[in-house]
Amino acid sequence: MKFSYNWIREMIPGLTEAAGPLERLITMKTAECEGIEETGALLAEACAARVESVEPIPGSHNVKAIVDAGALGMKTVVCGAPNCRPGLLTAYVPLDKKVVHGIESDGMLASGAELGINRDHDGIVELGTLEGCAPDAAIEIDNKSITHRPDLWGHHGMAREVAAILGLELTDPANLELLPQGPAAIKIQIEDLDLCPRYSALVFENVTVQPSPLWLQYRLTAIGLNPINNIVDMTNFVMAELAQPMHAFDADLLHGDTIFIRPAKPGEPFRALNGEDYTLDPSNLAIADSAGAIALAGVIGGGDSAIGAKTTRVVLESANFQASSVRKTSSAIKLRTDASMRFEKAQDPVNTVRGLARAVELLREISPGIRLVGGLADQMREMAAPPAIELSLEWLERKLGRATEPAQVRRILESLAFGVTEVQPGVFSVTVPSWRATKDVASKDDLVEEVGRMLGYDSITPRAPLVPAAVPPGNPARRFQHDVRNLFVDNGFTEVYNYSFLSEESVRAFGFDPAEHIRVTNPIASNQELMRASLLPGIWKNVTGNAKHRESFRLFEIGLEIHRREQGLPEEIPHLVAALYSRHEGGIFELKRVAECLLPGARTVPAEARGYEHPARAAAVHWKGAVAGRLFELHPRFVETGRAAVLDLDLRLVESLSGDRTKYRPIRRYPSSAFDLSVIAPLREHAGQLEAAIASFAGPLMEAIQFVRQYAGPPLVEGTKSVSFRLTVGSPERTLSSDEITAIRTTIILRMRDLGYELRV
Amino acid sequence: MLDESIQELASRSFARIAAAASPEALEAVRVDAVGRKGALAEISKGMGKLSPEERKRIGQVLNAAKQQLEAALDARKQEFDEAALRARLDAEWVDLTLPAPGPRRGHLHPITRIQRELEDLFVSLGFTVLDGPEVETEYYNFDALNIPPDHPARDMQDTFWLDGGNLLRTHTSPVQVRGMERLGPPLRMIAPGRVFRNESVDASHEHTFYQLEGMMIDRDVSVAHLLYFMKTLLTAIFQRDVTVRLRPGYFPFVEPGFELDIQCLICGGPGCPVCKHSGWVELLPCGLVNPNVLRISGIDPEEWGGFAFGLGLTRLVMMRYGIDDIRHLQGGDLRFLEQF
Ligand SMILES: [Zn+2]
Repeated sequence: MKFSYNWIREMIPGLTEAAGPLERLITMKTAECEGIEETGALLAEACAARVESVEPIPGSHNVKAIVDAGALGMKTVVCGAPNCRPGLLTAYVPLDKKVVHGIESDGMLASGAELGINRDHDGIVELGTLEGCAPDAAIEIDNKSITHRPDLWGHHGMAREVAAILGLELTDPANLELLPQGPAAIKIQIEDLDLCPRYSALVFENVTVQPSPLWLQYRLTAIGLNPINNIVDMTNFVMAELAQPMHAFDADLLHGDTIFIRPAKPGEPFRALNGEDYTLDPSNLAIADSAGAIALAGVIGGGDSAIGAKTTRVVLESANFQASSVRKTSSAIKLRTDASMRFEKAQDPVNTVRGLARAVELLREISPGIRLVGGLADQMREMAAPPAIELSLEWLERKLGRATEPAQVRRILESLAFGVTEVQPGVFSVTVPSWRATKDVASKDDLVEEVGRMLGYDSITPRAPLVPAAVPPGNPARRFQHDVRNLFVDNGFTEVYNYSFLSEESVRAFGFDPAEHIRVTNPIASNQELMRASLLPGIWKNVTGNAKHRESFRLFEIGLEIHRREQGLPEEIPHLVAALYSRHEGGIFELKRVAECLLPGARTVPAEARGYEHPARAAAVHWKGAVAGRLFELHPRFVETGRAAVLDLDLRLVESLSGDRTKYRPIRRYPSSAFDLSVIAPLREHAGQLEAAIASFAGPLMEAIQFVRQYAGPPLVEGTKSVSFRLTVGSPERTLSSDEITAIRTTIILRMRDLGYELRV
Repeated sequence: MLDESIQELASRSFARIAAAASPEALEAVRVDAVGRKGALAEISKGMGKLSPEERKRIGQVLNAAKQQLEAALDARKQEFDEAALRARLDAEWVDLTLPAPGPRRGHLHPITRIQRELEDLFVSLGFTVLDGPEVETEYYNFDALNIPPDHPARDMQDTFWLDGGNLLRTHTSPVQVRGMERLGPPLRMIAPGRVFRNESVDASHEHTFYQLEGMMIDRDVSVAHLLYFMKTLLTAIFQRDVTVRLRPGYFPFVEPGFELDIQCLICGGPGCPVCKHSGWVELLPCGLVNPNVLRISGIDPEEWGGFAFGLGLTRLVMMRYGIDDIRHLQGGDLRFLEQF
C-alpha cells in the first residue's frame, strides 16, 4: 500500500519531518516501509499558462506556441501535442530550453502523465487549476506488516500513527454533520447481520459525471490508483483516506426501491464491472435489487448498474461486511480488489457513515449542483462497545523487561485514541477505539505491543534470564543421522539434498505406482506433483548429472520417504541412499564395506532384482534379524556411461537396532586353534551360504569363521569352484586337544558331504 | 710345537676373515677355524699326549685364540649385516609425493554444516532439538498458531496442499506446538528443518528451504530476554559482536511481534548496496509467544510466557558462504558441493 506524504501532512498541520525521516520512524514504530517514490517532480516549477497563439511549423507535426506563463512572462515553445490550441489553459514547465526546427523553444508544455497527475500521454494537460498539485513522495508500506491493522489501509489511520509518534495534533477529514436528516430515499434489507453488520447508503441527484479535478486525479495517481471519473474517483479517494470501501450505483438502472443484502441464490448469474460473468452460490454474499445481484458484497460492483456518462442519479453504498465471508468469496472467484483486501482485514462498522459524510463534502466540490435525496439509509447490527482491558504496570514490565512510568503509558495509549482510566495504582482500565477493536486489539498483550513499540524497543536492555541449569532431552535419531553422515563423508561420500517432489515420469521409470504417492494439488510445475516415496529417483538424477563431469564419484543423501497412510498424516521414514559411480569398474564391494562399517555383521542376501536393479547384482541387506535395505547396481539401462552401486537403508530401522550394548568379556586365557576347509561347489553357489552351513555344523567351540579365498580352474572340474574358509576354535576353560579339533573338523566334513559338497582336504 | 700351530692357524684365519667377501665365505671360515670339526678342534685332539701342566697351558692358549677368532668373526658378520640393512633400506626408497590411493574425504552439505553448528550452540544453552513432520495438518501449521481459516495471514505463506487435505509445512513453527504439547513448560527448544512455499524458483527464491525455529517457555520471559538470546546467538553465528534492533512485525503466533535487524556486517552502518543503504539487514522474525498459542497448547499464559523466533537457515548459509544462487543448494552438483 502506498501512502502520499502530502495527504498525510494535510491531516497533521504540525508535521515538519520530511518523507525520508518519516519513513524511518514508521518502520521503527508501526509498519515496514519498502521505499519512497518521488512523484510529480515537475510540479515544483510548473505553473498554469494560457496558449495565446499557435503557428504551424512547415515540415513538422509540431507547432510553435506563444504562451502566457503568468509571472514568468510570455514564452515561445515548440509543442507536439494535438490539443495545443489558442485559449487553452495548460501547464508550463520552465525546463528543457533548446532549439527545435530552428526555433528557440523556452520550456515545455506538459501532459498529465509527465506531471505525474494522471496517466494521460495523449496531449498536454487541460487545466482548471494546478492548485493542490505539488511534488509528493509515495511511501510504500509492506502489505504483510499491516495485515492485522484494518485502520492502516487508509491515510487517516497512518496519519494517526504519525501524529502519535511525533506527539502532534491530528485532524479528522470526516464531518458527520454533513449527513442529511430525515427519511431515506432507499430501503435497505439485510438478511444476515453477521455477514453484513452494517449497510449505509445515500441517494444523490443532478449528478454530473466528468473527469475529476486535477488535484484529485493527482492524489490517486500518486498512490498507484487510476483516475476514471469524478464519481468513481471519489469512492476510491474515500477508501484510500478512511479505509472505507464504497460503491456507487446508477440509481436509474436499479430495480425497485430496496437494496437486499442476501446470500446469492444457487447458480445466480452476475456480471461484474470488470466485464466478467460469474455464477454465484449461497456462500457468496450478494447485494441485490428486486431483479437480481447488483454487486458482490465487498468484492466488486455490477456492470449493469455502473456509473456512466449518462448517469444523473447515484446510490452511494458504504457498508461493512464480515471479513472471512469476503475473503472466501474473493478467493473462490480468484478476484482480489482494493475493496476485498480491506474488508478481509475486518473493517470498522462505525466507519460507514464517516465515509458517506466525507463523500458528501467531496461531491459538492467535484460535481457542482449535486443534490442529496432524502436522509441517510442505515441498517446495522447492535454495536456493543468492546469490553475494557485491564493492564497493569507489573504485567507490562514482566513482558517488556523494563519499567515504565504510568504517565508515559497513559500518554502513549491516549495518543492512539485508547481510553485510559487508572482504576488502582499501577492498574489501568483501557478502552479500545472501534477501528482497533474488530480483530486487532483484544488483550493486555496487544496493549503491551502498543506501549512497547511507541516507547521504542531500543529502550530495552538485553538481559540473561534466570533459568535452571538442566540437561536438555536428547534427540537420538538426529544424533544417529549425524553419525551416519560422518561415516559416509569420512569414506569419501559427498552429501546432496534433493527436492521432496517427483514427476510421475520418474516415478514410473522406477516401476513405482504413481497412485500410491501423495499428490500435490497445486504443484509448482506438472513435473513436481508427487511426494517422494523413495530417494532413488533423486539420487539417480544426481548420478547421471555428475557423470557428465566426473569419471567416478561418491554421493549420498539422508532424507524422508513419505508414504501414504489410510488416514491421518503420512508416514515419514528417514532413509539413506548412497551411490558409488565409476565410468570403468563397479564399486559395489567398496560400498558393501562402508555399509558394514555402519552395520557390523550385516549380511547381503541375494534377492530378486527390482526393475531398476542390475538383475545379477542385487541383494537385500540383513542386519540383526531385520531387512535394513538393499545393495545393488543400478540397471545399465539407467546408467549408460558406467556403473553405479547403490545402497538404500531404512535409517529408522537401523537406528532402532543400533545403540551401544557392549558388554565386556574377559580375554581368553587358553590359546585358540585354526584350520582351513575348502568346499567344492558349483560356480554360482553363494559363499555366504556355504559359510553359514559350515558355521552351523561347527558346534559351540567355534569362535570365528572367515572366508579366505575362492578358486576355479584346473584341476577342478569345470563349472565348480573351491571356496576356502578359516575356522578358529577354542574354549574359555582349557586348551583344546588335537583330537577335539579333529572331531570338529570331521563332523563338518561329514555333514557337508550329507549336503552334497565335497571338501578338498 | 702346538703353540706354533695355533699361532699359525690364528693368523691365517684372521687374514681369511678380513678377506671374506660374503657372509657365506665368512661362515666357511668359521666352520674351518672354530667349528666343531674345525682346525682348533683338530689341534685340541693332540692335547691328550701332553703333561697336565702343559695341557692346562695349551688349553688356555687355545681358548684365547678361539675367543679372538670368534670376536673377529662376529665383528665381520656385523659389518655384513649392517651393509645388508643399508642396501635394503636404500632399495626401499619410495616417492612420498605420490598421492595416497583410495577415496578422499567427502563433503557435508553446507546446510548440514551450519545446522549442526547451530544445534550444538543451542544445546550448549540448554535447548533441546526437536523434529516435526514435513507433511502437516492445517491445524498445526495454521490454526494452532493463531491463524484461523480465512485469516488473511494465510496469504503470507503460499501453501502447497496435498490430496487428502494435509499440506506441506510452510514454516517450522508447527514444531513449537508439538513441542509444547509433548514436553510442556518450562521448555527450551529448537526445530531445524525443511519447509515449503509455493513460490516460483529463481536465484533468490526457492519452494524448498530450511528454517530453524526456536522457542523458550518459562515463568517470566520478556523482550529483554529475547534480545539477550538473539544477541548471543548472532554473535556466535557471525563470530563477531553484532548490533541488533527490534521493530514491529506482524506474525499471528507472537504478540508483540518483531522483525529483528542486524547492523550491516558489510558497511557497519553507514549504508551500502547489501543493506540497501539503510545500514540494517532484516534477519529474522521473532516475538513473545501469543497467549492464544499458549492456551491452544494447554499452557496458562498468566503463569507462563515465552519467546519464539524463526531463523532462515538457507539464507544464513548463503550469507555465510557468499552463495549467490539458492538453486545450487538442491542442485546435487558436486562441483558446488565439494567446496564445503
Ligand atoms: Zn551496509
